[in-house]
Amino acid sequence: MLRNVPIRRKLMLIILLTSVVVMLLMRGAFFTYEFFTFREATSRQLSTLGEILGSNSTAALAFDNSDDATDILSALKAEQHVVAGALYDRDGQLFAHYPAALPAGAFPASPGANGYRFADSYLSGFQPVMQKDHQLGWLYLKFDTGTVMQEWIWGSVRLALGIMAVILLIAYLLSRALQRQISGPILALAETATAISERRDYSVRAPKGGNDELGRLTDAFNLMLDQITQLNRELEQRVIDRTRQLEAANLDLERSRAEINSLFESLPGLYVVLTPDYQIVSASDAYLKATMTHREAIVGRDLFEVFPDNPEEAGATGTSNLRASLDRVRQTSVADTMAIQKYDVRRPDGVFEERYWSPVNSPVLSAKCELKYIIHRVEDVTDFVRQKKGGGGSGDMQARLQQMEAEIFHSSQQVQAANQQLQIANRELEAFSYSVSHDLRAPLRHVDGFTGLLQKHAADKLDEKGQRYLNTISGAARQMGRLIDDLLAFSRISRSELNTIEVDHDGLVANVIRDGRFERLPQPPEWSIAPLPRVRGDPAMLRQVWFNLIDNAVKYSGKNPHPKVTIGTAPDSADGEMVFFVRDNGVGFDMQYVAKLFGVFQRLHGNNEFEGTGIGLANVHRIVSRHGGRTWAEGRVGEGAAFYFSLPAKARVNGPGATAANGASSPT
Amino acid sequence: MASSLRPILLAEDNPNDVELIMTALKEARLINDIATASDGEQALDYLFRRGIHAGRTGPQPAVIMLDLKMPKVDGREVLRQIRADPELHSIPVVVLTSSREESDLMQTYKLGVNAYVVKPVDFEEFITAVGKLGFFWALLNEPPPEKIAQP
Repeated sequence: MLRNVPIRRKLMLIILLTSVVVMLLMRGAFFTYEFFTFREATSRQLSTLGEILGSNSTAALAFDNSDDATDILSALKAEQHVVAGALYDRDGQLFAHYPAALPAGAFPASPGANGYRFADSYLSGFQPVMQKDHQLGWLYLKFDTGTVMQEWIWGSVRLALGIMAVILLIAYLLSRALQRQISGPILALAETATAISERRDYSVRAPKGGNDELGRLTDAFNLMLDQITQLNRELEQRVIDRTRQLEAANLDLERSRAEINSLFESLPGLYVVLTPDYQIVSASDAYLKATMTHREAIVGRDLFEVFPDNPEEAGATGTSNLRASLDRVRQTSVADTMAIQKYDVRRPDGVFEERYWSPVNSPVLSAKCELKYIIHRVEDVTDFVRQKKGGGGSGDMQARLQQMEAEIFHSSQQVQAANQQLQIANRELEAFSYSVSHDLRAPLRHVDGFTGLLQKHAADKLDEKGQRYLNTISGAARQMGRLIDDLLAFSRISRSELNTIEVDHDGLVANVIRDGRFERLPQPPEWSIAPLPRVRGDPAMLRQVWFNLIDNAVKYSGKNPHPKVTIGTAPDSADGEMVFFVRDNGVGFDMQYVAKLFGVFQRLHGNNEFEGTGIGLANVHRIVSRHGGRTWAEGRVGEGAAFYFSLPAKARVNGPGATAANGASSPT
Repeated sequence: MASSLRPILLAEDNPNDVELIMTALKEARLINDIATASDGEQALDYLFRRGIHAGRTGPQPAVIMLDLKMPKVDGREVLRQIRADPELHSIPVVVLTSSREESDLMQTYKLGVNAYVVKPVDFEEFITAVGKLGFFWALLNEPPPEKIAQP
């Protein structure tokens, strides 16, 4: 209720209320005390009056003279508040009464107990009339206390109100003076706070009264204001600094953007930046000049809408070739170099001019490898092409030089075309080997399969010659199956990607020897294996190299009564290549055929001598070349052979074991 | 219909191969019925009981031997449809092909083939391989119960 009342009034109200309550309580206590005192005094006064009346009326009672008694009682007239009085004789009979006009029935019929009692607003009672020790009768008196009391209460209340008014006035004046001690500082604080919140003026300070709690509160408030001001100042400074930095950075960014833009635009080459849907984003000045366009006229438009084919040239391929090249870039995200194109440009007057171009389209990829832009770079080769068309004739040196350059352009165009054909051929080769894998092996399987069935079916009907023919057919089919398998493996080696990691050669060699199960041979070879360095390469392919070389060494030394295979490293070559070898003490070969060794299907031994398809060393050569290394061999008929391969210096892994070189001794 | 065993479905377009495979299975003394389909479409008709196989009432095969290169619908597509069908998707499928190409291996394993066997050129090896395959998948292996996943 008081919550929204100002604190000053609240304080005064509390003080005044307290004063009133204290005063009322005190007044109440006084009043109660006075009330009872008043009643007692009245009672005593009546009793005294009764004593006087009683002693005056003894004679009248003794002589039974009621008239005298009535006279005596009529003296009560002087007592304003005595409303009735009566005398009773010894037998308790009404003897005389006052006022005489009242009928006898208005008085008690017989005297009651002695003493006065309050009843309603009257004090009434009996007292004996005595002469010496002898009771002559009773006196009855009735006193109207109501009127007296009313007068007394009125007086009392008036007095109380008067005092209260005075006290309240004093209390009001006092509280008005004293409340300032408490409310003053609080109001000052409140006013300061309002000023701050309304005007945001943190420089204002609350005035301090004394060193009491309010003083401390004011101090704390002012301290808080100091801190806020300080923080505000720091924050503002920081905002200013940051803004300044941002502005500087923005300016820098804009400047560098403009710089990059102008750099790009003033590139001497002919460049256009395209979106992945071939809208023109930007173009170099040189490009605009060469195509006779303006930046505002082409930026944001579709490339092919801006540069259509020459409508007067029926067989124009410019747009379709360019679109095909851009599509390739979009699909593969790899730069696409186009052959020289005839792509006429439109002059501002709408007439087309003959132009030849050499374009390259390169992708610009985002960090997520998504195509963001395509950069289309062209070179205007019209003059060269025209000169080439015009033909030689001129003995002038300059003209010949230009003609040569034009020829270079033409041959580069041919190289482009050849490259494209190579790509097509590669794809065809893939399709071919896939189809070989599926289709060529099936008939072979059927030849061998049905030969087998025939052998079972007609075993008893065939003579020895017939059996031999069937064996020959089936043997030939199997050999062809192996050839196809090896050829497919060979082509797979050429096609599959190199998966280059760090390779443990010692582990590879040990693995090949274990998997080759050479110890099961009737004549297992004696091994001499030197520690080999670790290299970077494709482990599966390098394993194939080791397998083919070791398998060959074991195979061709198989006829020696003490076959021996040595594996090791030779000293590095001049340009840091690492050199590995596998040597055997087998049949060897004639060095005049050494060039044939690493070719596909090239064999120096017949199948009846040593089994094989002539693919193994071709695989070795292919794999080593793909790693950037070389292969070569040394041998002499009957004295064994050594096969070497090298890996380039960049394949070297620097670490323990990497320097192990030339480990093995070289037995013959 | 002599046997109570579940049949083998052989999807193979080349009649020579069909004959060789049948011989190999016979040599392995398998008594399962062998149903043949000469292209992918026929194989699907058999499995989905439609076309010329509309009235087929027998159980689904214990194993499907599938060639990859077939006319009309190739083996990969047949495999894809089998794996996509709620009733057929658990039937074991063995690819029996001439191809050792990596792309074929990758694709069919990705489609969920149970085994991939390259048909050997050598007749004896062929007979052994196909016989073992039939024995394992048609007799030794417990096929999934019929109607595993009726929706």
